[in-house]
Amino acid sequence: MTHTLSPATATAHPMESFIQKLLGAKALLPDSETNVLEVVGILKSYGVVLDAYSKNLIYIADHQFLVLFPFFKYFNGRVTLPQLLRHWWHDRINFEYAEYCMKTMLWHGGGKLDEYLDSDDFLQHCRSAVTAKIKTNLPIRALNALFPDFLPEQVRQLAYYSALGQFWRVMSDLFIDLSDAYDAGQVKTIPDVVAFIKAGLVAAAANPITYGVDIHGTRYDLLPKSAGLTFLMDTAVPYVEAVFFRGTPFLGTVSYNAQADQIDVDQARFEYGALYADPLPIGGAGIPPTLLMQDMRHYLPDYLTAFYRSQGRGLDDVRVKICQSFQKSMFCVTSASLQGLLPHPADTQNSAEQAANHKFLAGWMDRLATSRLDIVQL
Amino acid sequence: MLSALILIPLVGGLGLILWPGKLESQAAKAISGASLLLTLGLAGLLATRFDLTASGFQFEELLPWVEPLGLSYRLGLDGLSLPLLAVNSLLGLVAIYISDPKLHRPRLYYVLLLVINSAVAGAFLSANLLLFFIFYELELIPLYLLIAIWGGARRGYAATKFLIYTALSGVLILGAFLGLVWLSGNTSFDYDSGLAAALPLAQQITLLVALLIGFGIKIPLFPFHTWLPDAHVEASTPVSVLLAGVLLKLGTYGLVRFGLGLLPDAWMALAPWLATWAVISVLYGSLAAIAQTDMKKMVAYSSIGHMGYVLLAAAASTPVSIVATVFQMISHGLISALLFLLVGVVYKTTGTRDLTVLRGLLNPERGLPFVGSMMILGVMASAGIPGMVGFISEFLVFRGSFLIFPVQTLLCMVGSGLTAVYFLLLVNRAFFGRLAIAPPASTPQLDVVLPQVSWRDRAPALGLAALIVAFGLQPTWLSRWSEHITLVLHQPYQGFVQARSRFVPAALPAAVADTALVAPTLAQPLPVSPAPVDP
Repeated sequence: MTHTLSPATATAHPMESFIQKLLGAKALLPDSETNVLEVVGILKSYGVVLDAYSKNLIYIADHQFLVLFPFFKYFNGRVTLPQLLRHWWHDRINFEYAEYCMKTMLWHGGGKLDEYLDSDDFLQHCRSAVTAKIKTNLPIRALNALFPDFLPEQVRQLAYYSALGQFWRVMSDLFIDLSDAYDAGQVKTIPDVVAFIKAGLVAAAANPITYGVDIHGTRYDLLPKSAGLTFLMDTAVPYVEAVFFRGTPFLGTVSYNAQADQIDVDQARFEYGALYADPLPIGGAGIPPTLLMQDMRHYLPDYLTAFYRSQGRGLDDVRVKICQSFQKSMFCVTSASLQGLLPHPADTQNSAEQAANHKFLAGWMDRLATSRLDIVQL
Repeated sequence: MLSALILIPLVGGLGLILWPGKLESQAAKAISGASLLLTLGLAGLLATRFDLTASGFQFEELLPWVEPLGLSYRLGLDGLSLPLLAVNSLLGLVAIYISDPKLHRPRLYYVLLLVINSAVAGAFLSANLLLFFIFYELELIPLYLLIAIWGGARRGYAATKFLIYTALSGVLILGAFLGLVWLSGNTSFDYDSGLAAALPLAQQITLLVALLIGFGIKIPLFPFHTWLPDAHVEASTPVSVLLAGVLLKLGTYGLVRFGLGLLPDAWMALAPWLATWAVISVLYGSLAAIAQTDMKKMVAYSSIGHMGYVLLAAAASTPVSIVATVFQMISHGLISALLFLLVGVVYKTTGTRDLTVLRGLLNPERGLPFVGSMMILGVMASAGIPGMVGFISEFLVFRGSFLIFPVQTLLCMVGSGLTAVYFLLLVNRAFFGRLAIAPPASTPQLDVVLPQVSWRDRAPALGLAALIVAFGLQPTWLSRWSEHITLVLHQPYQGFVQARSRFVPAALPAAVADTALVAPTLAQPLPVSPAPVDP
């Protein structure tokens, strides 16, 4: 005798419970006191680090425009001997990590920013700025004549510097505000955290993303307001796609472990981003804990340091713990992003809209099936 | 003074037995440790007064005991026994240091450790065959108990197997000693290199075969080795350290002292067979080690392989190769002790030694990076990487034996290459890759967190590693004690060595001149014996 599955069972997504959580204004991360402590604490330190990253990215975009050998690009214009010594000693913010993220976005593209950078409009703006910049620089003019695509590509990269800097500016403030709200007792649960982040993202969603440089006293727009680039769809979404999901095979952002067979034979499944990262390093290059974890280590709030100290090896494996907490927090940010990007309100009663929401989330859940989502549930 | 080396541990043991009331583990450990520290200091003191040019026993002590039986309490120290005595005290100290502070029946445990130390010291110091046998047998019971009481799940089986094999070894050795003395018409069992001089070759060979099997069980050599992997696997880490580092050396020491030293004619007659036996043992031990998935068993089989080098070097009986026997004994004692120590730490921390399960222990954040680094150093030393003691000992073995037994030496060098194979397998499986201490599971698992290894647990490994490197860089610190005694032991074999030497003119005492490699001051050619014996 043949049994036929009921329609509901037949269409149930393997990760249906997570879809329902997201539709129910909950999170991909279980709600618990320690999870809240870890997530808010790590986002506090992330906020501090992002502030530094953001300022530096914007400084590089604005003040190191087509400087082909930017020796002091991490100094934000203030080069002193103590700063140099600290830089060489490496007890500093690793701005390299921010650049890796920028390059990841550049490579993976996505959103209207990517489209705009390939447009004729951008090329015209770009040529004007480049011509002004290299007017008195004969070697670079010769280089530009020989390789006309080289400098525009550099400008595209600088546009990403600026865009990521602007995106992280918002996120840094948002995470610091979240920490303040937690300290004030206004945020107590993981759904509270997700709601807070979602509200912040939605509030900044329409913020324009623009970029221009001053050359010899003249302003040259490279990402004009008229391009219509906005915070959420043109930086936040490509960022999540590039850094959370896809990742990049370079030091600091590589999230796969080749020796543990974590590279899929199907290379189309490019899933090495933060949500898939293996927090345990194996001594190979580019495996997390990344530069970011080292940076965040300096800015952990006291309560999180005390929490780490009380667990396992104490602070000896703090970078692994930071990576684990960071991954948890990124699942919260992903939850907020997905809820913010739902095609229809989550509580809609319209069955067609419900189906559309469900389909939207099911697509993302398919991609999260191989992430560490199952491990952060433990 | 030599008696003190035997008595101090016994007095320490007696103190533990008579300790009033409940004896805490820490107190027992402190008393035992102090006893062995004292013996180590005494060995050091003896070394400062040791005459490097004396040819016989030094610091001799003689007490008539059961004279009608020819048994006297006669002790003596020479360059063969001095380094082994020091290693005995050192590894005894390490064994006590790393013993579990929470083990049950601490009083008995530490008493047994001290008795073993005393018995081994007695055996190395004995200048009377029966006295050696008594001490040789004396260490048997404590070791049996240490495995049987504090061992693993199959401790009863392993301990009984060890007891049966080693008891048989004792019977054969006793038979050989009795035969040697009685057939030679002596009434005393005192050590005398001329004891067997008047015996016909057939009788000498018979006696030597008994000694070879007796000590071959203890070393152990293929095919008498089967007790060793079981004993190691079931024994606790401190006992494994002692077993590999010191107790096996009783076998090789006996072979050199009594086989090579007392029965030269038979030794020369059997030497090619012994060298071939060494090859079989080396290759068997190495190939068996490759097949192991238990880390401890792999190290145990490597011991079988590495002890074969001692037999090869002893068979060649050139001055360099005889120095090599001592060097290889000490070298293997230090390296195997380090490896067993580290395997013990891995087992204590992860709960397994299974090489099909362990991965990535070198993980810098959550694994055992220090232990892993020491393990890599240990396996490199064992594989004979230059700069460490294993290289010097293997180089001396091969250099000293090649002219006499070129084919066997080359085959043993293959065994040395196989050491690199199985130890790299070990390191690659257990220490590289992603950290794991359990097979992959179908359900999600939390990331592994291994407890941290304290500096207290790291210290003994660090000390042994330092010695391994120090003797590797400055081998004369170790070889200088044995150089003269090796020339004395070599004396009856000069003709044999000259006759068998390949690739050099027969008139050149090449193997004697080789001594300059390790003994620049002793490179004077000795008188060549008139009748080379070539079986």
